[in-house]
Amino acid sequence: MNLTNYALQQILNALSIGSLYALMAVGLAMVFGILRLINFAHGDVMMVAAYIAFFCLSAKMPLWLTVIIMVVGTVLVGIVMERVAYRPIRNAPAIAALLTSFAVGQILQNGTLLTTRFASKPVQIAFPAPPELSGTVALGALGVSRVNLIAFLVGPILLALLTLFITRTTLGLSMRATAEDIGAAQLMGIDTNRVIVLAFVLGAGLASIAGLLYAVQAGQINPYLGFTPVLKAFIAAVIGGFGSISGAMLGGYALGFLEVLLTALPGLGDILPASSTNPALIAFFKTYLPGTLTSYRDAFVFVILILILLFRPGGILGTAETRR
Amino acid sequence: MSKKVLKILVFLVVVALVGAVGAPGISRAAEPIKVGGGFALTGDESALDLPAANGAKLAVKEINAAGGVLDRPIDLVVRDSKYQMDVTAQIAKQFVEEDKVVAVVGFTDSDSVLASGPIIQKAGIPFITAGATSPKLPDQIGDMMFLACFGDNVQAAAGAEFAYKKFGKTAYLLIDKGVEYTTLLGAYFKARFTELGGTLVLEDTYEDKATDFSAQITKLKALEKQPDFYYIAAMPYNVGPVVKQLRDAGLTGPVVGGDGYDTPDLVSVAGTAAENVYFTTHALMDAKNGTEGIKKFIEAYNKEYKTDPENAFAALGYDAVYLLADAIKRAGSTDAAAIQKALNETKDFKAITGSITFSGSRVPQKGVTMILVKDGKFTLAEEIVPEKVPSPDTK
Amino acid sequence: MTATARSLTSTTTATPSRRANRIGVFGLALVMVALIVLLQNSGSSVWQGIFTNLGMFIILVASLNLASGFTGVFSLGHIGFMALGAYLAAILTLPLETKAAYLNRLPAWLAVVHLDMMVGPFPLGFLLATIIAGLAVALVALLVGAVLMRLSGNFVSVATLGFLVIVRVVLINADDFTRGSRTFSNVTPYTDLWWVYGWVAVTLYCVWRLKNSAFGRAMFAQREDVAAAQSIGIVIMRPRLLAFVLSAFFTAVVGSLWGHFITSFSPNTFYFDLTFRVITMMVVGGMGSVSGSVIGPVIVLAISEGLRRIEDSTQLYGISGLVLAILFIIIVVARPGGLLGDREINFGWLGRLARR
Repeated sequence: MNLTNYALQQILNALSIGSLYALMAVGLAMVFGILRLINFAHGDVMMVAAYIAFFCLSAKMPLWLTVIIMVVGTVLVGIVMERVAYRPIRNAPAIAALLTSFAVGQILQNGTLLTTRFASKPVQIAFPAPPELSGTVALGALGVSRVNLIAFLVGPILLALLTLFITRTTLGLSMRATAEDIGAAQLMGIDTNRVIVLAFVLGAGLASIAGLLYAVQAGQINPYLGFTPVLKAFIAAVIGGFGSISGAMLGGYALGFLEVLLTALPGLGDILPASSTNPALIAFFKTYLPGTLTSYRDAFVFVILILILLFRPGGILGTAETRR
Repeated sequence: MSKKVLKILVFLVVVALVGAVGAPGISRAAEPIKVGGGFALTGDESALDLPAANGAKLAVKEINAAGGVLDRPIDLVVRDSKYQMDVTAQIAKQFVEEDKVVAVVGFTDSDSVLASGPIIQKAGIPFITAGATSPKLPDQIGDMMFLACFGDNVQAAAGAEFAYKKFGKTAYLLIDKGVEYTTLLGAYFKARFTELGGTLVLEDTYEDKATDFSAQITKLKALEKQPDFYYIAAMPYNVGPVVKQLRDAGLTGPVVGGDGYDTPDLVSVAGTAAENVYFTTHALMDAKNGTEGIKKFIEAYNKEYKTDPENAFAALGYDAVYLLADAIKRAGSTDAAAIQKALNETKDFKAITGSITFSGSRVPQKGVTMILVKDGKFTLAEEIVPEKVPSPDTK
Repeated sequence: MTATARSLTSTTTATPSRRANRIGVFGLALVMVALIVLLQNSGSSVWQGIFTNLGMFIILVASLNLASGFTGVFSLGHIGFMALGAYLAAILTLPLETKAAYLNRLPAWLAVVHLDMMVGPFPLGFLLATIIAGLAVALVALLVGAVLMRLSGNFVSVATLGFLVIVRVVLINADDFTRGSRTFSNVTPYTDLWWVYGWVAVTLYCVWRLKNSAFGRAMFAQREDVAAAQSIGIVIMRPRLLAFVLSAFFTAVVGSLWGHFITSFSPNTFYFDLTFRVITMMVVGGMGSVSGSVIGPVIVLAISEGLRRIEDSTQLYGISGLVLAILFIIIVVARPGGLLGDREINFGWLGRLARR
């Protein structure tokens, strides 16, 4: 594979990975934008969606029906979550909400664990990927998996719809107002409770789609799968600009690029063809970017995250909370 | 103090009830043999520990139905460590003090074994681990520690020798550095393979909970010349996606792995991509082509738990209990030293995951089974006893 | 969170009741000593274990309270300090032969250090190693804090989370020192109830003194309102940094205690699961309260131990996690500051009882 193809394929990989992260991050940003709540249970909501989809697909339901049931089910979970766990602490300090979201996540995890026990299912279950989401699509000499391609297409479409909703409809306007200043919005007669529930509904809906795609990619589901996605979504949202939906989307892609870059560059010295490449270039990579650096990936991502927080806390798009 | 008395009273009542109600084939006054079963039934390791616990419980059920050991039923006290190390240490203490077990079986990872091992060793009680494959464990813990499975150095050496002979001198190595199992497997493989004269053209790493390996695979694909085979160390929850994505990228070379691949999920998730995948494991777990013991085990497991054994650890948990029962029988008593002696003398014990012999080492000499995935099924490629095994201390 | 006048003026309560309080606390300490003697001689390692774990979590919660509860600056990465403390102390106390066997690639200057000397029955080396580890980690905290304590709110939580991840990655990759992801084992079991509760006493005393000092008041002030605090002349960085560094010291000490109790650990031991457990205890007990740092772990550990035994007998695994999470939510909803908030239990009644 020549260098251009390599670079192109890795860019494609980054876009693929980024699409899923973007979808997850936007769901997280929806709730944060309104409530300033970092919902750590977001990943577990994705997990619940994946389990719902699993039970539907195991019952041989067609994909379109599965998606509908999954989205509806997950949204219901989101509504109950808001009502029972988050509404009562609305006026508590931000920390309380953050910690409550941990607890909600625990409830979802353990609840799912107990449910799978009663349903006589193992902890780790292979996920029956529907044919529409399986396989790869070739793009010239490059390839991308179908599930990632769908994530790549679905993401911007949903973002566009969301943006339209927020900017063009009255309800969307109410959401923006509430996000701006919840007190003032109430004074203006906006039913902020309804708006908040809507935020959770949208967040949960997005989480469910992300959950389905994630489950297809991971090939298996277990009650604890939600943790890594929520961490990634979180990082993505911060990098892109917390509170901003387009920021979250951008952050997702940025994170995807970062992760791929941190795998694609170290060790390049080992794969560059010795015959046709400048030996100085190979030597450069072998000394400064050896393959062993790949295991530092997570650390690099967080170092960059911290740098962003220090010098550009508003994230790449630099909106809303620029006050440190 | 009164709580302790209460506990003793309860214990006596329970024992009395068990004795009174009894089970077919057991004499009315038979006092159960208490065995501790430590497993991480909730938390990240549960995908491996729950099957191991299930296997162990199934073994106990079968043994008791057949009359027990020394005419006494086994009482397996299962405790969940939640994969938290302070709790793991606590349950070890409970086994020793409260349950007063004669032996402990359990766990599939080194962290848990090392958190509980010293306590059990200090109490002078035999400890058989179902699935922790680090060969250093008996040295780290002491003379009461036994593995029921081969060490990772053995299976890695088997993999290296097999692949070197069958596929060639060049290989690709992919591990997760943050997980002990894959790191060990990779290190032992590298040591043996390079000793044989092989070269690793590319090494790479992935994150434990990663679901997307496209970046690493693209890098691999960019090599001028593909290596003769790919050695990918992975846990049961990663094997499906990594194999699938590798094949989807058009890489058709043979994939070689360790016992993490021994799960039906490999084929369920990867589908046709799992063709031409080889992995070392304990025994061929196939309802049609496995040994009689394996077939009966799969059938019994299905009947009891309504699912196929989820991975190799189910069979290992099963074997750990049977191994213990056999040792107790040969020892003729439940005295710890006697059991320990009997375990050390174990020779050619026919476990369903292979023949176990402890000769001078508490890591069993067990043959390695090389499985090939063909036509969506696990088939036996070769039974291997490695010629040379890297020392457990290899970095 | 509404500032209670009480919390800012806790040092101006009338002297006689403070004396009664002190006597009460002293009496409580005597009770603890008696309890420890009883436990040590009971021969029940299960109960010794329960109380040792309790002690370690008390120190953890108290330190976290100091760093986060008092200042409102939420550090999610504190367990990273615990990890560093555990590894450093264990590397230092490992006897020479064990070191050669398990850590055969240490640099020469470290390979010869073995703080396993005893003075009679007293493990002096353990004390030295623990203190050295604590100080070294405090230094790291100084550097990290100087950078991160400028942030606030959600940002500092994210950033400190990053610290936790970075520590883990470093520990995994520095395998010459740490054995990487392989379990670090065969640490000498020095820790016992006396060590743990000795450090508990030191930690609680330090945290309590700090809370009732000018620094402490500054911490609480800037928790309530940074701008207002600045307007009365409080330099925000100093109390925050002091809290951060001091709490890192004690957290590292617990790391050493943990390492020498369980005798083994790996980078995965000191990660998110432990973080959530400690945070849960802190929230339950009271964010900003020293007595809360004791109450929280007691309640949470009592419940999880009890539920754990029920889980084991009923095989309903997952129940304890569920119940604890529900309890957590109930407490956060009913009393967002935790059971005690930032108030302290006044032991005056115990003191007055003693006087009779």
